[in-house]
Amino acid sequence: MPPLGSGAKLPIYGQPAAPDRAPADGRHPWRSLRVLGAGDGPSREFDEGAAEPPAGFSRRTFLQILGASTALASLQACRPARQKIVPYVRPPEKALVPGTPVHYATAVSLGGHATGLLVTSHDGRPIKVEGNPDHPASRGATGSLELAMLLDLYDPRRERGFRRGQAPLAYRSLLRELTALAASHLADGGSRLRFLTAATGSPLLQDLRRRILARFPQARFHAYESLTEDSAREGSRLAFGRVLAVRHTIAQARVILALDSDFLAVGPEALRLAREFAGRREPGPEMSRLYVAEAQHSVTGACADHRLRMKSSEVLGFARAVAARLASRHGHSQLAPMGATPSGSPAPGDVRIAKESAAVADDLARSSGRSVVMAGSRQPPAVHALAHAINAALGNAGKTVEYAAPAFDDTTGPASLQPLARDLAGGKVDTLVVTAHNPVYSAPADVDLGTLLGRAPNTIYLGYRDDETAARCSWVLAAPHPFETWGDARAHDGTVSIVQPLIQPLFESIPEVELLAAFLDLADQGAHRILQDYWRGRAKGPDFERQWEGWLARGVVPDTAIAAEAAAPHFVEIAAAVKAAPQPPAGLEMTFVPDYKLHDGRFAENAWLQELPHPVSKMTWDNAAYVSPATARKIGVEDGARVELRLAGRKVEAAVWIMPGQADDVVSLPLGYGRRRAGPVGSSVGFDAGPLRASDAPWFAHGLAVAPLGGAKHVFALTQEHFSMEGRDLALAFDAKAWSPEKVEHLKGPSPTMQEPVDYQNQQYKWGMAIDLSKCIGCAACATACQAENNIPVVGKEQVLRSREMNWMRVDRYFSGPPEDPQVIAQPVMCQHCEAAPCEYVCPVNATVHSDEGLNEMVYNRCVGTRYCSNNCPYKVRRFNFLNYRGDMSPTEKMAMNPDVTVRTRGVMEKCTYCVQRIERARIETRLEGRAIRDGEFTTACAQACPANAIVFGNLNDPRSQVSKLHQDERRYDLLHDNGTRPRTAYLARVRNPNPELS
Amino acid sequence: MSALFRPRSNTIFKLVLLLLVGGVLGTLGGFMVWARVPAGTGQQDPPLQPVQFDHRHHISDDGIDCRYCHTSVETGSSAGIPSTALCMNCHAQIWNKSPRLEPVRASYFTGQPIPWVRVHRLPDFVYFNHAIHVKKGVGCETCHGRVDQMPLMEQVEPLTMSWCLDCHRNPALNLRPLDQITAMGWTPQGDPASLAQDLMKRHDVHTRTSCTTCHR
Repeated sequence: MPPLGSGAKLPIYGQPAAPDRAPADGRHPWRSLRVLGAGDGPSREFDEGAAEPPAGFSRRTFLQILGASTALASLQACRPARQKIVPYVRPPEKALVPGTPVHYATAVSLGGHATGLLVTSHDGRPIKVEGNPDHPASRGATGSLELAMLLDLYDPRRERGFRRGQAPLAYRSLLRELTALAASHLADGGSRLRFLTAATGSPLLQDLRRRILARFPQARFHAYESLTEDSAREGSRLAFGRVLAVRHTIAQARVILALDSDFLAVGPEALRLAREFAGRREPGPEMSRLYVAEAQHSVTGACADHRLRMKSSEVLGFARAVAARLASRHGHSQLAPMGATPSGSPAPGDVRIAKESAAVADDLARSSGRSVVMAGSRQPPAVHALAHAINAALGNAGKTVEYAAPAFDDTTGPASLQPLARDLAGGKVDTLVVTAHNPVYSAPADVDLGTLLGRAPNTIYLGYRDDETAARCSWVLAAPHPFETWGDARAHDGTVSIVQPLIQPLFESIPEVELLAAFLDLADQGAHRILQDYWRGRAKGPDFERQWEGWLARGVVPDTAIAAEAAAPHFVEIAAAVKAAPQPPAGLEMTFVPDYKLHDGRFAENAWLQELPHPVSKMTWDNAAYVSPATARKIGVEDGARVELRLAGRKVEAAVWIMPGQADDVVSLPLGYGRRRAGPVGSSVGFDAGPLRASDAPWFAHGLAVAPLGGAKHVFALTQEHFSMEGRDLALAFDAKAWSPEKVEHLKGPSPTMQEPVDYQNQQYKWGMAIDLSKCIGCAACATACQAENNIPVVGKEQVLRSREMNWMRVDRYFSGPPEDPQVIAQPVMCQHCEAAPCEYVCPVNATVHSDEGLNEMVYNRCVGTRYCSNNCPYKVRRFNFLNYRGDMSPTEKMAMNPDVTVRTRGVMEKCTYCVQRIERARIETRLEGRAIRDGEFTTACAQACPANAIVFGNLNDPRSQVSKLHQDERRYDLLHDNGTRPRTAYLARVRNPNPELS
Repeated sequence: MSALFRPRSNTIFKLVLLLLVGGVLGTLGGFMVWARVPAGTGQQDPPLQPVQFDHRHHISDDGIDCRYCHTSVETGSSAGIPSTALCMNCHAQIWNKSPRLEPVRASYFTGQPIPWVRVHRLPDFVYFNHAIHVKKGVGCETCHGRVDQMPLMEQVEPLTMSWCLDCHRNPALNLRPLDQITAMGWTPQGDPASLAQDLMKRHDVHTRTSCTTCHR
C-alpha cells in the first residue's frame, strides 16, 4: 500500500476547511451572499432536517405501515402474478422490434421559430427529446424547454375533449357547429370574425390564414406573444426601411458586444450561437472576447469577459458612447450623428461608462469585420437600429451579421393586441378564435382581455390546459401536444421542417390546422391530408411521396432557407430616432425578463422546469424581485422580504432576493409566474409581473416605488448552498494573461491514496468524461436532459428546502470578486466515477461497486439505504429517495418513463451512472456487428444536449478519442484532487479573455 | 416453601428460546429456500394459454425453426411473439376450420390481439437481451429447455440470479456453433472442452459479471 503523503491533510467534519494553499486562481469563490457574509465557517454538509421524516408522518407510523405491508405482502401469492404478452394482429410495414427505440425527426416552435428535434420513441411512446443535427437551429443541441416539453405530453391534467359552455361536444358535432358558425359569417364577409393567434412561421398555417381571409375578406388576424420581438422588427424597419430578420454568425467573431442580449440562452438562435461561441473559447490568439451590457444577471452575462452592469435604459446611452468613440477615434464618421459622448459629469456612473465604452469601441474597431454588436429583444428599436449602424460601419454586415426577409411578418406585441381590444370593447366582434398561448394571463396590464372576451358571444379557445383564458371563453377545445399532430414549422433562417406525430393523441383534441380548416369547410380532411395537399403543390420534381419521406426522415425540407440580402442602413433616420429617444430618468427601474424555465408562463405546469434551478440564481419553484445588494440596503430589505411594487398606479406584491451583479436601482421580476389557474403544479407559484407590465413599457419602466410590507418572510428554495464541497479548489477560472499550465499542475496526476490502484489500461473500454468550463455557459440543459433520460423524480419545494432534490446533475454556480459586481463561473457536477471511490468502502451491502471497466455502479436492488455512501462522497453527488417520489403515478405518467432505466423506490440511493444504459446498448449493438464502439458513436444524455459541446464522453483507452485528448489538455484538472479519488471526469479550467485596458 | 421454578422450567425455557431463534431463522431460511425451489421460481408450472398452442407439434412434427415465429430474437432484446397474421400464414390454408384455432381466427378478423400469458418473467430491474446471447452462441435450449417436447410452454430453468451468474462466470460449456442455435437436443461432437474453448475464441465471448451488465 502506498504511504499517505505527509502533505495530505484530511478534513475534519464540522471544522472549517482551511485550504493549505490559496486557490489556484488567487480568488476565493463564494456560492451565495449568506456564505460570503458568514465567512468560511463550518458549513453543514447536508441541510438542517435533510434526514428527518416528513411532518405528519412519524417514525412510529412508518414502522406500523411497514409491518402491515410486510404482513400483506406475505399473505399475497408467493409468486408475482402472471403477465400478459400482447403481440400485433397485423404487423405494420416497419414493425417495431419490442425494446428497440426508434428516432423520429420533428420540430417544435417557440415564438414562431422552429427547433428541429429527434425524438426517441420506445415501443411507441416518445420518451426522450434530442436535437436534430441536420437542423440549422439545433445542430444536435437542445435547450431545457424543448427537453421538458415531453413531460407536458404525459400530463394527465391537460385539457381533453371539447366543451361549449359546460356542455361537452363530440368531435363530429364540434366540426358541424364550427362549420355552421363559419357559414353565419359569410354574409358580411367576416367583418365580425376575429382570430387571435400565436406568432407562427408555419407555411401551412399562413396559407390557411390567407385562404380564410380570401373567404372572409373583412375578418382580421391578430398575433400575440408575451415575449414579443417587435422592437427588433421595428429596429430593422428603422434602419433599413423594411422588416428584416437579423442572423448572427459568431463562429469567426473575435469581439462581441451584447447590448442587453441574452443570445446564449434566449431566442431562436440561442443553441447555434452557444455552439459557435463555445468554439472560440479555448485560450489562444483566436479566443473571442464577450462584452455584455445588462441590468439583471443573465446566462450570457455570466459568460462575459466584461459584464458591464447598467440599467436597461442606460444601454442606449452606452451604445451611443461606443458609436461616438468609433466616429471620433476610428474614422467611422457616419456614426458621428448618433453618437453621444457621456456627459463627462463627475458622477461615477458616467466616468465608468466613458471608460468602458471607449475600451469596447477600440476593441470593436481593432476587429473590424470580425466583431459583432447584438441588441436584445428587450431593448427599444433605437438600440437595434444603432447596432445595425455600428455593424455596417465596422464592416461586420455580411460577415458576422446577415439580413434576410423574415420567415413571418406579424407584429406580435401589444401593438397587435390593441386594435382587437378596441373592436371587442366596441362590440364589433361576434366570433373570436383564440389560438395564442393563454393571452388573458400574458396580455399587458392595460388590456383587460379577460373582461373583453365576455363581450363577444362566441369565444373559441384552443388551449392545452384549463388556464386563465379557458375560464373566460365560451368554447374550450383541447389542443394536441406538438408530438401528437401533423404540421410544419420554420426555423429562424427560414428552413422548413415537417412536424410529424410520434403518438396518437392521448386525449381527444383538435389541431390548430383543423380548427382553421373548419372555417374553410375542410376540417374533416384531417391535418395530415391538408398538410400533404399543401406541400404536394410546392414540391419540386415529380415523385412527391419519395421526397416527402425524405423530408420526414431528415427533419428538414432542403433548400428552404431564405437567402440573405444586402441591406444598407439609413444613417440619417437612425440618428434621428436615436436622438429622439428619451434620456433615462433617475430612480428605480422595473425590468421584466423572460424566464429561463417557464418562458412566458406556458411551462408553469411543467414540474421538471419548476424544479430546475434557475441558471444564475439557483432558485427553484419561484421567481423573485431581484435587486442588487446596494439597492436592497437603500430600500431596507433582506432576502425574502415581502415588498409592494408600485408602478403607474398599479401594484403587485413580491418577495425580494438580493442578486450579486444586479445593476443598482433596478428591480427585475421574471415573467411567467404567479399563475392563478395553471393546475396543481404551477398555480400560485412565484409572483406575477403581469399587472405592472403595460403596453407602452413591455420590458422596462421607470417610476417604480418599492414599499416593504413587513410580515413573515417568503421562503425561497435555492439549491446554491446545498451539497457544499467545503470551499476547496473547485471551479477554476483564470484571466488569459495570468493563465499558465503550472497553475493546475498540482491538481492532476497520481496522488497518495490508501488503496492499491487498479489498472484499467488493459480493458477494451475505460469510460471517462471531460467538462470544459471555458465552454460551459451554465444553461442547465444537461440537467434537464439527465432528468428525462434517467427517470429522475421531482420532489417539490418543501423537499428542496430540505436539500432532497434528486437531480443527478447539478450545475454549481460560483461568484468571485466583490458582491456588487462579481464574476461568475458555472460548473456541472455529477458522479465523478472515481477509480478509488470513497462511497464503495463504506457500503455494508456492496450496493455500490466497480465494474470491470472501472465504472462506479449503483445497484438499486441491493441498496438498503444506510446513506453511508452519500456521507462519504466528497463530491456530494449521491441522491437518496427519502420518500416514494414515484408512489402513485397515473398510467399516463408512467408512459414517460425510460424503460431502459430502473425506476427507483423509497429508501434507495441513486446517482449518475454515466448513462450506463446507453453504454450497454452501444456495446450490444456493436458486438452484434462484431466491431468495437467508435468514438462519438453514442454519448451520455448531458453531453448530447449540451449546446456548447462543453461535455465530452468517451473511451479513455482510445488515445485518439476526443475525451482522451481533453484529458491530456494543459487546462485539465481533477476535482478535489488531493483526496486521491482519481475521478474519471476531468475538468478543464476556464480561461477568461479580459481587455487589458479595462483591468 | 417450594422453589419458584421447578427443574423442568429449565427445559421449557430452553425450548422457548430454541423456538424463538429457530422460528426466526427458519422463516428466513424458508423464504430463501422457497425462492430457489421450482415451486417458488415458477418452474414446471405451465400456465393455460388462450390458444392451445403446441410447441411440440410445430417443432417436431412440422420442423419449423424457432426464428420463423420469434422473429426479433437475433436483432432485439425481446425474441418477439408472432403476430396473428403470422399464424394465419399457414392456418389460412391448413386447419382453417379447426375449432381449436377459433381464437386465432377471431383475433385476425376482429383485430383484437391474442393475450398470451407470459411464461418466462424477469424482474423489472433486469435487462436481458436475446440478440447478444444468440449471437454469442447460447442456444434457445440452454435457457428454455426441450421446447420440442412441450405440449404446453413451461419454464424449466429457475431464472434466478445465481443461475444467470453460473453461465456469465463460465460461459464456455453453454456455447454451441451458430448454426446449431435453434437445434433441440444438440450435443457436441468430439471433445466438449476443446470445442468450448474454440467457441469462446471464435465468438469473442467474455465473462461479464459487472452489475450493470444486467441491472441499469
